[in-house]
Amino acid sequence: MGENKLYLNLGNMKFKDITREACPGLEGRKGGWKTGVTMADVNGDGLMDIYICYSGKVDKDVRRNQLFINQGNLKFVEKAKEYGLDDPGYSTQAVFFDYDNDGDLDMFLINHNVKKIDNMEFAKLRNDVDEFAGDKLFENQNGHFVDVSKKAGIHQNPLTFGLGVAIADINQDGWQDIYVTNDYNEPDYVYINNHDGTFTEKSKDYFRHMSHFSMGVDIADFNNDCLPDIVTLDMLPEDNKRQKLLQLQENYESFQLMIDQDLGKQYMHNMLQLNNGDETFSEISQLAGMSNTDWSWCPLLADFDNDGYKDLFITNGYFRDYTNKDFLRYWGDYKIKKAMDREPVQLLDLIKAMPVTQYPNYIFRNNHDLTFSNKQKEWGFDQPKISSGAVYVDLDNDGDLDLVVNNINENAFIYKNQSREKDNTSYLAIKLKAKGLNTNAIGAKVYVYASGLVQYQEVNPNRGYLSCVSTVLHFGLGNLKKADSVKIIWPDQSRELLTDISVNQKLVIAEKNNGEREIKKTITDKPIFIKTPSIINYKHEEFTENDFKRQPLMLFMYSKTSPVIAKADVNKDGLEDLFISGDKNKPGKIYVQQSNGKFAPAAVDIGDENTSAISAASFFDANGDGFPDLYIAKGGYSIWEPNTAGLQDELYINDGKENFSLAPQNSLPNMSASSKSCVRPCDYDNDGDIDLFVGGRIIPGKYPSSPKSFLLNNDGKGHFTVISTPFDSIGMVTDAQWADINGDGRKDLIICGEFVPVKIFINTINGFVDETNKYFDKPENGFWFSLAVADVDGDGKDDIIAGNLGLNSQIHISEKEPAELYYADFDNNGSLDPFFSFYIQGKSYPYVSRDELNDQIYPMRKKFHSYKDYADATINEIFSKEQLAGAQKLTATEDQTMCFLNRNGKFVKSVLPIQAQFSTVSKIIAKDFNHDGKMDLLLLGNHSDNRLKLGSIDANYGCLLNGDGKGNFFYINQPLSGLSVTGDTKSAEEITIAGEKYIVIGISNVGLVFYKEISK
Amino acid sequence: MKKNIIILLLLYFQTVNAQNKTSPFETDIQAAVFSISKVMMHDVVNPPAAARYYAYCLLGSYEIVSQNDTSLIPVSKFIKEYKPDFIEAKKSDYNYKVAALYCILETGKLMLPSGYMLQEDEDEFIKQLKLSKFSEKIIQKSLIIAAEVAASIVDYSKGDNYGKLSAKLRYTPLKGDQYWYPTPPAYIEAIEPNWRIIRPMFIESSGQFNPSPLTPFSKDTTSAFYKLAKEVYDISKNQPQENINIANFWDCNPFTVSTSGHMTIGFKKITPGGHWMNIAGIVSKKAKLTFNNAIVVHTLISLTLMDGFITSWNEKYKSNRLRPETYINRYMDTKWVPVLQTPPFPEYTSAHSVISTASAAVLTYLLGDNFSFTDNSEVIYDIPPRDFHSFNEAAAEAAVSRLYGGIHYRDGVENGQKEGKILGEFIIEKIRSAGVKAFNK
Repeated sequence: MGENKLYLNLGNMKFKDITREACPGLEGRKGGWKTGVTMADVNGDGLMDIYICYSGKVDKDVRRNQLFINQGNLKFVEKAKEYGLDDPGYSTQAVFFDYDNDGDLDMFLINHNVKKIDNMEFAKLRNDVDEFAGDKLFENQNGHFVDVSKKAGIHQNPLTFGLGVAIADINQDGWQDIYVTNDYNEPDYVYINNHDGTFTEKSKDYFRHMSHFSMGVDIADFNNDCLPDIVTLDMLPEDNKRQKLLQLQENYESFQLMIDQDLGKQYMHNMLQLNNGDETFSEISQLAGMSNTDWSWCPLLADFDNDGYKDLFITNGYFRDYTNKDFLRYWGDYKIKKAMDREPVQLLDLIKAMPVTQYPNYIFRNNHDLTFSNKQKEWGFDQPKISSGAVYVDLDNDGDLDLVVNNINENAFIYKNQSREKDNTSYLAIKLKAKGLNTNAIGAKVYVYASGLVQYQEVNPNRGYLSCVSTVLHFGLGNLKKADSVKIIWPDQSRELLTDISVNQKLVIAEKNNGEREIKKTITDKPIFIKTPSIINYKHEEFTENDFKRQPLMLFMYSKTSPVIAKADVNKDGLEDLFISGDKNKPGKIYVQQSNGKFAPAAVDIGDENTSAISAASFFDANGDGFPDLYIAKGGYSIWEPNTAGLQDELYINDGKENFSLAPQNSLPNMSASSKSCVRPCDYDNDGDIDLFVGGRIIPGKYPSSPKSFLLNNDGKGHFTVISTPFDSIGMVTDAQWADINGDGRKDLIICGEFVPVKIFINTINGFVDETNKYFDKPENGFWFSLAVADVDGDGKDDIIAGNLGLNSQIHISEKEPAELYYADFDNNGSLDPFFSFYIQGKSYPYVSRDELNDQIYPMRKKFHSYKDYADATINEIFSKEQLAGAQKLTATEDQTMCFLNRNGKFVKSVLPIQAQFSTVSKIIAKDFNHDGKMDLLLLGNHSDNRLKLGSIDANYGCLLNGDGKGNFFYINQPLSGLSVTGDTKSAEEITIAGEKYIVIGISNVGLVFYKEISK
Repeated sequence: MKKNIIILLLLYFQTVNAQNKTSPFETDIQAAVFSISKVMMHDVVNPPAAARYYAYCLLGSYEIVSQNDTSLIPVSKFIKEYKPDFIEAKKSDYNYKVAALYCILETGKLMLPSGYMLQEDEDEFIKQLKLSKFSEKIIQKSLIIAAEVAASIVDYSKGDNYGKLSAKLRYTPLKGDQYWYPTPPAYIEAIEPNWRIIRPMFIESSGQFNPSPLTPFSKDTTSAFYKLAKEVYDISKNQPQENINIANFWDCNPFTVSTSGHMTIGFKKITPGGHWMNIAGIVSKKAKLTFNNAIVVHTLISLTLMDGFITSWNEKYKSNRLRPETYINRYMDTKWVPVLQTPPFPEYTSAHSVISTASAAVLTYLLGDNFSFTDNSEVIYDIPPRDFHSFNEAAAEAAVSRLYGGIHYRDGVENGQKEGKILGEFIIEKIRSAGVKAFNK
């Protein structure tokens, strides 16, 4: 291990190594494993001191951390012990910040265990304290640091594996919060400051999922909404080959164990947690395009091109591919061979058996729209290396941020930023000097307003990995000549406003006395929705079956269809009532609204979720007696078999007195061929009775073959017969709507589905005619989940809104790069073998891993001899031409949620804002929610029960889009919409309760949540 | 201590070399079987699947030998379902021993995932034949016969439902504290939960021989089950080195996972079936059996192993009992780790006990009781040889080793032994009535 170095910046990119002269011992203690370094004015004398962390399986005195106090003459004296900071833990990094707002700097120290604990039954260990592995908080008490971890509520269990730490006022309450990344199974910590010297760990509240093998972290506002966002890094490679070679095999049992042990959902890719401003975060790394950067260490969010938006730099690399699967599976052969050859096994051979792969660091340009573009090549970061810590800093004071990158077994790199030389951009550098002991104003906030744009930064230099940046803040300002104003909130919460600031300068601002206090801004606009306590006390427990045990190669589970809801005024008392499906512990019930706005369940039990699953329901008058009857569609996946009683739909006849009775068996034809997705009543033949479309979702066990969809014709008395249509075997239908598209007075049918386009069937006297090609330029095959029909642009014509997969997953598709799905019983063993291919870096690769392939089709075990052998295979290498020719093929080209605007007899594609693409959209409600006379859209969704390597798609908290009446929509942020819907939305209805409008949302494994709409 | 082991190993290798010299390559069944074992180690073939591969690899060689030696009982006399396509191997213009050995390799080549690796062994075998007195014509003809028989056997194997396993529902851990859950460190998914559908050899069905009911689950510290777990725990504390040696000797875990940070390594060993196949080789040599009789021993053991695993696996996924490691970690000691790594399938009964007891019974029938031998099967894993006075002694040690290893409860071991004994007796009765006689009588 090399020595520490202290370089004095002589200007003009010249540096002088002053390590030896500065202080004996500054080069680091021999035998100790040197980790993080921090510069801070620990004693408040105006001079930067240096704190160095140590780790390693060595004597604890060898790894005591060191504090070098700056003497002011380029000399330092080591005083860790005196200050109480000579901690002997397995330290990673320290941060100095003022957690108790008392004006001096305290210290938080992250540590790690040197032993990975494999046994996951460790709920009990979480209360243990490991004095060397646990993180520590030290309070500065008159210049002496005292360990207050326990009192402050800091986790110190032996599972701690702290690799990164960043400080920010995450919830914007004027107090510093702490984010700690943990490698392995221990989840990251987000410690929210309670203002009383204690913290509460709130990761489960704030985040829906986190990185699994978390490394470095940065916190900064990357979308200029003045809220700090969070980046954490992990190890997922970008390219197909390394994914196939290194990605861990999915293990549902160990994932479940993590959930059961309250470790939360953790996935192996970088995370970008977008701060929604309401103490929730939307994880959008995959939408943003920075989720896969291989074995990554140090994230840095900073404006490298001075365009006013923070870009992202990521270091990566490791000596060896430790998780190489050929190594894991086949290294054992080497040991046996050595034994048979009677040769000793060398440890070095073991290390050497792991492949070495060097690859470049990543740099991403901020596209100003929540996404990033890879600029590795254009910005000069294409050399392969193994990097670790890094800092950004304007080393040559030329107004752009340079980068210093540490490398393993190689000298550090300095990247001189040439962007100003090239583009002559503007910047503003700001250095704050606070009163008192916190001389560098750690924790201060700076807002720069310019030309309608606002940028926000905090003076919190500890970010990234093992590193500490400068306390000078750097703001890029594009081609502007001035900043309109600069607002500073000092650590003591006093406020200062500077106006009309010219650019291209370094502003040094000293804190004045008697600054005005910052008053916490409150939201003046009333939110559009207000969450109310549950009006119907209904909890939902989901199916526990794992659909991937039945067909391991599907992407999604199909079992989880509940809670299903349907509304109607069943007793004609003028109050809306609600059907809610049950779960394994309770039957479905019809909840009848009472005059006081409360609900009482009717006597009838509907459905038994132990023998079948309700997947859709609809009230309509089946027998023409004026009372709404209830149609129950059966579906799901689970262990259901097609053509068995569990998939037969049911009709319940309403006598108008809250009595529902199961209609005679002959009322419905045999509906048990498939699982159903939707029930859409409509008098399609204009004969005065209500007929039904029932969409077929999936055949359990036979994904992705086309299930049956049904058009049921009513004889007027509630007896239904199947009418043959062109859409009865159209694919996996997810939703449908009736609308008179051609204005001939007959309702036409719009259908969407998984690998099915949005299709239009025109209802003619002679039957339904597929006119999709007439209404759409081209069919838009997608992963459609939902449909709504509404006139969003006020032209009197129905437009279509269609919910899709979104952009926030590993699956990215387009017309040029479609998702492909081949399926057949390739090995003739009675099971369908579905194989997805998706494009990665311009080429279509199978989604299936070698292990999954070998497990699905045994003869494949003979085909690819190693993971390496398989790593580059495309579908054409897996199967012969003949096999593929004999297989079925589905494709999808569109994954975005969108409107199809009815314009001159055509449906014109109009993609909804990027926030609508954060997640799957399973329910769409079109309404003028803000009462401006224009149609708005409420999009609900999320899909968490997916393949583990796909992960939970869960960044939608209720996406409210404000319509401008012309077909354009604008995202209304979560604090303003008032929506904070967590979990997978399975159903949603608007319902009037006691005269007020509510949205009731059915969430899987949660139950019902109610939001009251603001009135006009 | 380490030095002693090295000296021991050196001694062993000298002995092995000496043994090898007395055993001509063209009749060395043990070597051919070990070639198969090596590929299975490479592929990390699980224990029940390994037994199946051994069985089919040996069936072809038995077929060839039995057609050339009418004193051998035809397979169809003791395996009801044995109906391969007609195999004609009764010709005089080839060497049936050469064909029988080559057939083992060839069947492995056709069936095993990395069967291609056996090409090297086949080439070496042919090279040796050419260097010896065998004529080109005899060699060629022998290889053709071997390949024909192997192909026919592979065809026959396709009817045993193995290919249907991937169409079956995978294992989802049952809800309930009493049920098996994957174990540390890798939490590997349950191995072969549907093995019961595999067509057996001697027995009628996977459920023909069921063990006695297991001790009912209880968390109550006064319960019988708690005591069973406590026994495993107590044994693990202050265990004599000899117990640990025994546990390691019979570990036979094809893939022991060891982690260090982000690095995971799999250490490999032959399976329990592989171990008994090697014992078959050792004792065939010790008994100086003729080649033909040695083929009988190897084949009958491989078939016994196949049925043993089918029987055992049926019960494992009927009872779905949790492993001692899970129970002890939950209710006694969070940090307890067994001596052996817990294999990835339910506990009851101990399959090693079943197959060891059944194999010992069959070996005893064929070679007699009180047959002493030195088992050096584990030397390549740095584990010294062990001496046994009888097959049953070895089997009993294999069974109790699972208790010492901390991966089975006593009732899993003992009821597994009983299950294996009944199975072994059934097989003996079946072969005896078919006409297979003991060699020493």
